[in-house]
Amino acid sequence: MSILNRLRVTHHLDDAAMAAVWTEGRLAGMAAHPHLGECASCRARFGQLAGWMDDLKDGAVADADELFPAERLAAQRAQIFRRLEAAEHPTRVIAFPKPPAPMAARSSGASRWIAAAAAAGLVVGVGVGQMMDFRHAAGRSPAAGLEARLAERPQASASPIREIAADEAFLVELDASLTRPSVPELRAFDDLTPHAGEQPR
Amino acid sequence: MTGAQAASLSGREADGAAASAVKALQAEGRLPEARERYAELVGRHQRRAVRIALHYLRESAEADEAVQDAFVKAYSHLDSFREELPFEVWFTRILINGCLDRIKARTRRGRWFVPMPDGPGGQQDFAERTPAKGPSPEDQLLARERRAAVTRALARLPERQRSVFMLSHYEGCTSREVSAMTGLNESTVRVHLFRAIRRLRVLLADTTEASGEKRRVNP
Repeated sequence: MSILNRLRVTHHLDDAAMAAVWTEGRLAGMAAHPHLGECASCRARFGQLAGWMDDLKDGAVADADELFPAERLAAQRAQIFRRLEAAEHPTRVIAFPKPPAPMAARSSGASRWIAAAAAAGLVVGVGVGQMMDFRHAAGRSPAAGLEARLAERPQASASPIREIAADEAFLVELDASLTRPSVPELRAFDDLTPHAGEQPR
Repeated sequence: MTGAQAASLSGREADGAAASAVKALQAEGRLPEARERYAELVGRHQRRAVRIALHYLRESAEADEAVQDAFVKAYSHLDSFREELPFEVWFTRILINGCLDRIKARTRRGRWFVPMPDGPGGQQDFAERTPAKGPSPEDQLLARERRAAVTRALARLPERQRSVFMLSHYEGCTSREVSAMTGLNESTVRVHLFRAIRRLRVLLADTTEASGEKRRVNP
């Protein structure tokens, strides 16, 4: 069923019916509605609609022609064929830059000697560093000397009494070394002043 | 058979022959000759393709690119072209799909980017820079206003109605051809065209009345 038949056509054709008549005529090549042959006013209105449609088409074509004159179309055609030509040639892949010869081939006797000298220098440096450390250890503070002597103490003694006496002496010496100033010039002042641990009398 | 139909038929036969020849030349590896023969098809369909792309995209630079893309794509996929379908229909379908993809991409971009306002020294469209010739400046201005109103009214149509209207009315395609190009069935094509005309009549009547009002207020 055509669009026209779906619309209820009264005496005169309304705008929708006119549009339907025009559509059917344009797309399906159908003959004009019989009413148009009989009614002059509807025929005139249909003529107006057809003219309006033609104006729309002419305007659209003129718009496109104005935007795309012959020169622009020629430029577009040239660009299309440039793109087609470019697409036919496979893309050239540029290789990533790399050194002219492998690294292993460049190593020579000289570089081996340099590596050996660096290793020898490292060994000598570590040895000298160790010796310097021992010398410093010999001239350290009394507390450090005490620690050294503590380390040198015999681990086992002959009798338990001698062991206790030695421990006592060791603790007195330890206490003295920690509480008394290690600088000899200040000992006189230290003797004159009360110590924090002493009870007030 | 009318003169226009006969011309269209002979044009179609020529298209079919040219497309087959290009395909054969491509298969034989005679690419410069294939391109030369393809130029025939480009020449015959370029102006129409530009009109269709312009009506979809409404921007001349983008329409230019869309047409180029469609011709390049058609050439590189010519092996999938079947002779039983007119080249015009096959090519128009490629073009319309490309235009719709661009519209989608533009919508996506529109969500993220704010367009630059057109200042007085801003880049104008090609049409505005083309020197005037023919009618008086006033007539040209009126014609341009009228065309702008039509473009705005067309833009307000649903996408399918707009496509059907452009292809059937502006390009003179039959309902069968529009159906093949858009994938809609023939009766749907007719209904869309009918609705498009009705809606355009209403929209453009409003515009005419509004511009009449404006002229009365500011004579």
